[in-house]
Amino acid sequence: MRPVARSAIATGLVLLVSQSGAAAEADQGAQLAATCASCHRLDGGGTGIPSIIGLGEERLTNALLAYRASESSNHIMHAIALSLSDEEIASVARYVAKQGSNPR
Amino acid sequence: MKSWTRREFSRLAGAALLTALNQPKARGQAKARVVVIGGGIGGATVARYLAASATAIEVTLVEPRQSYATCFFSNLYLAGLRPFESLSHGYEALAKQYGIIVVHESAAAIHPAAKTVALNNGSKLSYDRLVVAPGIAFRDRALEGYDEAAMEIMPHAWNAGQQTRLLRQQLESMEDGGLFVLVAPPNPFRCPPAPYERASLVASYFQRRKPKAKILILDAKDSFNAQDLFQDAWNRHYPGMIEWLPAQFTGGVTAIDAKTRSVITAGATFKAAVANVIPAQMAGRLAQQAGLANRSGWCPVDPVTFESALQPGVHLVGDAIIGGDMPKSAFCANSQAKACAFAIAADLTGSARFPAHLFNTCYTYLAPDDAFSNAISFKPVDGKLKSVISFVSKVEESSEVRRQAARAAEGWYDAFTHDVFG
Ligand SMILES: Cc1cc2nc3c(=O)[nH]c(=O)nc-3n(C[C@H](O)[C@H](O)[C@H](O)COP(=O)(O)OP(=O)(O)OC[C@H]3O[C@@H](n4cnc5c(N)ncnc54)[C@H](O)[C@@H]3O)c2cc1C
Ligand code: HEC
Repeated sequence: MRPVARSAIATGLVLLVSQSGAAAEADQGAQLAATCASCHRLDGGGTGIPSIIGLGEERLTNALLAYRASESSNHIMHAIALSLSDEEIASVARYVAKQGSNPR
Repeated sequence: MKSWTRREFSRLAGAALLTALNQPKARGQAKARVVVIGGGIGGATVARYLAASATAIEVTLVEPRQSYATCFFSNLYLAGLRPFESLSHGYEALAKQYGIIVVHESAAAIHPAAKTVALNNGSKLSYDRLVVAPGIAFRDRALEGYDEAAMEIMPHAWNAGQQTRLLRQQLESMEDGGLFVLVAPPNPFRCPPAPYERASLVASYFQRRKPKAKILILDAKDSFNAQDLFQDAWNRHYPGMIEWLPAQFTGGVTAIDAKTRSVITAGATFKAAVANVIPAQMAGRLAQQAGLANRSGWCPVDPVTFESALQPGVHLVGDAIIGGDMPKSAFCANSQAKACAFAIAADLTGSARFPAHLFNTCYTYLAPDDAFSNAISFKPVDGKLKSVISFVSKVEESSEVRRQAARAAEGWYDAFTHDVFG
């Protein structure tokens, strides 16, 4: 029984590491997206402030990079984007792009 | 000795995995318990984000009222631009969608050593972590003569609800040519631009319905938030209608005489047709009773976890805290609440920690189609919350930019209340 047990432990550990790695990435995206949710409804609804659901990862990334580069279009998004690192922009764009449109 | 079967083993390994990812560190119980006192903006946000981010935490929200009325946008209601019902939000979604246990009671006392909260109905709640978000209270004897009875004659309307409705009724029944006196509080207080937004929107109402009426602001301060933007707008939209008197000019408001509806300053007495008296403030009563506030009347906290500096295991968010550069706004309360919820989830379940993003934006109305905004991000520096990036609208902006901001503000209200109450 011993060898079986050891490989089961090993499998468990690999699973644990890879799952928590992916989970941590998603967690970071989710925590950053929580800051967006103060102004953008993440269910795709809302008016007055444009929806960010359904834009796709690339468009989200580019929009955030453009807002970070210049104050001229909007000082709110400029301040938001300035507070994000490259890695955080990638992480939040990936997370938001995965949220489906489901207006309530 | 027991010999393990493969099935048992993988079941155990699976269990270990779940333990590592989700389970509360506290042993001997199925779920860690977090009690949140106060279902306002800060408390409701903490409850919601804790419940959404960690299934291994049982969240109980203690709030006496069946529904919450927002202070933000209540100045639009006072100006007749929004029905009161549009400010009101229930707790059904937090209970049904997020599985939060909502208890409609008042918390009477906190016992940090026993980790229990006593409710007004005599029952007790146990917790592993406690979050207290009681908002503000008015300082005792801040203004002579301004007691509970006087508030029914000269409302503060600084907690939204019956007080806000009372002030609206008084404004509606006021005769044209009447004097509306607004007493503005000393720093720090809930929402720095809000007294001046209120004066602006009441002026827009008077302009439409009572064009001969006047507004007098008697301030406890010598300057105020976004003063250049307000004074520019008052000249453009309501020339001659609003007069602002700083404390250095009046000597400050010293007393209130409700019988004659008068406001008394060091040098003069002003008799009002309608008076809105906003007194000096401090952290909500429960925070004072529970020893969570220091001598300033506000609550010192760790700027990363929002844990009390005075009572370990108790966290605070919102207007009640000493927020450093963070103003007492709904946006800040919501932003602090998310950082606090993620910190508590990390402590109780071992989930990963990331640097928090603390932010404030306030949309402020100068007229129904003229709004401005600010945008500030904050970071903990040497134990204090410091502003790092800050932008605010400028006086010379075009009316189209201001119209857009007024439209964006509507969108913000919808998204924001959705974020807080589900
Ligand atoms: C006129 C006006 C306009 C404003 N406009 C804006 C704006 O445009 N943007 C913005 O960001 N902010 C605005 N604000 C500020 C905003 O309303 C507050 O900053 C925000 O409500 C603070 O949230 P909080 O959770 O600390 O307190 P609150 O929202 O007041 O919540 C406190 C809650 O605790 C409950 N409570 C108290 N004691 C107990 C107890 N013992 N047991 C159980 N529950 C208890 C209360 O019933 C209440 O529901 C405005 C304020 C005013 C007055
Ligand atoms: C304080 C409110 C606020 C917050 C918080 C906020 N936004 Fe925005 N966002 C806005 C406003 C207002 C606009 C419209 C700006 C304009 O007119 O260019 C906008 C626009 C955008 C756009 C452009 C949409 C389009 O269709 O062009 C994107 C993308 C975006 N935001 C992403 C985000 C992300 C991601 C976050 C969180 C990290 C975030 N925003 C947080 C207010 C906010």
